[in-house]
Amino acid sequence: MLRMILLRLVDAIPTVLLVLTLVFVALRILPGDPAQVALGDMATPEQLELFREQMGLNMPLWQQYFIFIWDMLTLNLGRSLVSNTPVAQIIAVNLPYTIELTIVATGMGVLFGVPLGVLAATNRNKLPDNGVRVFSLIGYAIPDFYLGALLLIVFALNLGWFPINGGGTDFASRMYHVFLPALTLAMVKTAFLGRLTRTSLLEVLGRDYVRTARAKGAREGRVIYRHGLRNALLPITTGLGLSLLATLSGSVAIEMVFNRPGLGETLISAIAERDYPVIQAGAVIFAFFVVFINLLIDIAYIVIDPRIRVQ
Amino acid sequence: MTINRRSFLARSGALGAASFAAMHLAMPRAYAQTEDGTISIALAARSPNGINPQQSGLTGGDNWALYQVFNALVASKPGTFAVTPEDFQPALAESWEVSEDARTWTYHLRRGVQFHKGYGEMTSKDVMFTYGRQLDPEIVSAGKVLFGNIESIDAPDDYTFVVTLVRPDPLFNASTAVTLAASIICQAAFEEKGEAFNLDPVGTGAYYVESTDESGINLTAFDEHWNGPAATRNIRVSFIADTTARTLAFASGQVDMIEGVRQPGWIPAMRQRDANTIFDATAPGSFNTLHLNLQREPLDNIKVRQAFRYAIDNSQIAEAYGELSTPMVGIIAPQFAGSVTKEELPEELKYEPSIDKAKELLAEAGFPDGVTIPCFTSQREDYATIMLMIQEQLRAAGINLDLNIIDHATMHAENNTDKNSLTLNSSSFPPVPTMPFLQRLAASADTKPDGSGQGNYSHYGVAIPGIDDLLDQAQDEPDFDNRIEVIKQIEEKVLTDLPLLGIITLSYVIARNPRVDLGFEVQSGYAYWPLNQARITG
Repeated sequence: MLRMILLRLVDAIPTVLLVLTLVFVALRILPGDPAQVALGDMATPEQLELFREQMGLNMPLWQQYFIFIWDMLTLNLGRSLVSNTPVAQIIAVNLPYTIELTIVATGMGVLFGVPLGVLAATNRNKLPDNGVRVFSLIGYAIPDFYLGALLLIVFALNLGWFPINGGGTDFASRMYHVFLPALTLAMVKTAFLGRLTRTSLLEVLGRDYVRTARAKGAREGRVIYRHGLRNALLPITTGLGLSLLATLSGSVAIEMVFNRPGLGETLISAIAERDYPVIQAGAVIFAFFVVFINLLIDIAYIVIDPRIRVQ
Repeated sequence: MTINRRSFLARSGALGAASFAAMHLAMPRAYAQTEDGTISIALAARSPNGINPQQSGLTGGDNWALYQVFNALVASKPGTFAVTPEDFQPALAESWEVSEDARTWTYHLRRGVQFHKGYGEMTSKDVMFTYGRQLDPEIVSAGKVLFGNIESIDAPDDYTFVVTLVRPDPLFNASTAVTLAASIICQAAFEEKGEAFNLDPVGTGAYYVESTDESGINLTAFDEHWNGPAATRNIRVSFIADTTARTLAFASGQVDMIEGVRQPGWIPAMRQRDANTIFDATAPGSFNTLHLNLQREPLDNIKVRQAFRYAIDNSQIAEAYGELSTPMVGIIAPQFAGSVTKEELPEELKYEPSIDKAKELLAEAGFPDGVTIPCFTSQREDYATIMLMIQEQLRAAGINLDLNIIDHATMHAENNTDKNSLTLNSSSFPPVPTMPFLQRLAASADTKPDGSGQGNYSHYGVAIPGIDDLLDQAQDEPDFDNRIEVIKQIEEKVLTDLPLLGIITLSYVIARNPRVDLGFEVQSGYAYWPLNQARITG
């Protein structure tokens, strides 16, 4: 397995390098002067020039590019052009909130989505199946920022059960703060995983070994969960990985709506402020997560399906 | 450690269950409202960038905290702008004198003023340090442009500070001494803390910084403040960038004050929810002006510019914003000294809105079938809204604006490289009447295609003769009243040439829970005000 992990990591190097290059080029093509944004429109030309010089913004582009790549390789993320705070510190403060949101939302999605899918598959074309289908359609159709605002108004503003904003401090308060945002993101995840589980399970339940299990007199629960669901897990795992990535990117809007600290919200502000080091570091982190999650999915395949391990 | 299927699934399940259990356990105790003698204000920013008055990149939220933590040499009466030299009040300087030529300002510092956190007494050394950093060309700092007229500074003793100016300035207190960038910082703390000073600053204000986190700043009353301790023990400055989240936080009572939204209809909508909400708005707020690029056709034609002036009805635009806005006549906000009123202007410069007159002028300029002008503006709510209203008004006169709405930073970058034909500009100026002209219409501030110029997007004084001589005259005039007379001449000249059209002023607004009494009425001033008299009454 270690060899496989190493191979995957080596495979990821060109991807990450390509992402770094694209981000660097895109930022330099984008109009907007970071010096002007940082110093305001009353800044004198001399101050703007001094700022550009201090931040290395007036170097030739190729030189800036190589410095950027070298800094990334040596994990030197630089400093924010706006606040002068080390970017590593900004990431360290905000990233845990985004990870926490992604994990809890995914957990909720699995917790609700998989049982719903099983319910739909075991009651094919009956009321529960139709109900799950309608729920899935709604889940797909409602934009998460709208659902987030709706949940915020009902459960935080009118009922007062949850906080309006913030990320919390200790573990308990953080879990409390993350509940509504995670529920919002979990809605579409539940719909997706529910449909995926239903389809995969139905396919597996039609296989010969399931019929054999039933013919041998196995209880229905055992047939569904031991023989059916376990074998349906492979496509569900793939879907889960994709949905995990979608949640990570979807967290941007939700962090804004719930005013949660997080990497998405940080990146949006950094883009508006043309804060190159923060945007670059954020993009690298996202790229890293894509690679990491894909790796996790590969490992999960091996754990779930011994045949892959043998191959 | 080996992982098999069973342990993988079992551990995942256990983790999920534990998370949910923790969530339920947490609910009752984590939800707490602000009710312990803390006034909480939420501003439209993402997170604190710093609380160092000389740091670049500060947001409006940072400024609110800064204003509570630091003091300048002088102050204006709370809730107002000091518009004339007599309006200023003593702060860290107990008194001051100005020479007859208005070039030498001598400040007598208050004795016994203490810095926060045991850093001792403030003396002229700290004032020298503060101003010295702003005068050092090798240091990038916020508001440096405000110190450009200073020739030298001196501290003859521990309690006297002398500023010598290059050119006379009867309003030096307004143009420099009262500004946030001139807040006095503690030299010893600054040198000791280094970069840490940005988030752990030491000033002389009524509050000191207790702590900061990713979403706000906690301030605590400074008992040794020279003006006596603040009325409320704690202030929480929260940063909530999203408008909806901020409004909901206010509606739920989680915060006492929020930065408002400068959109037509926002205040009525808030009042509909709670009629008791108080809205504190600073007049004038920002100056919204429309630059016409004199180097582009057809705007190089005075008749076309006059058609613009007749077609745009400032009162109608101001009305859309209700109490937040006033229509502008010239370039100086009507609330400031130097502004002109319609009554005092000659008939031909009054430009009473008239679509017929605009069409007539357009025909005389050779455009009987109207004109189409490509331009762009920012997607920021105030820019986009005002420009869309202007677009509609101009359409009626046959002037079609082919308007693109783009990202705010992009708009500034494109404007700074002279790519726009006409551009709306929203700027906040202190009551220093020369400042808007110097920054927006002086030939020295001309915008250059390579981006090395400044904010004269109209090219006034370059494309056609401008106001530079009059500006020089105003800047050399030591007497305040005489200076104002010259400024009024400048206003008339600008209204004659129309390189820049005053549209409306737009107030900065804070919605306040009536349980908080500020201790004064907000009438004008910068986009922040002191909270040392604020108390919770309900």
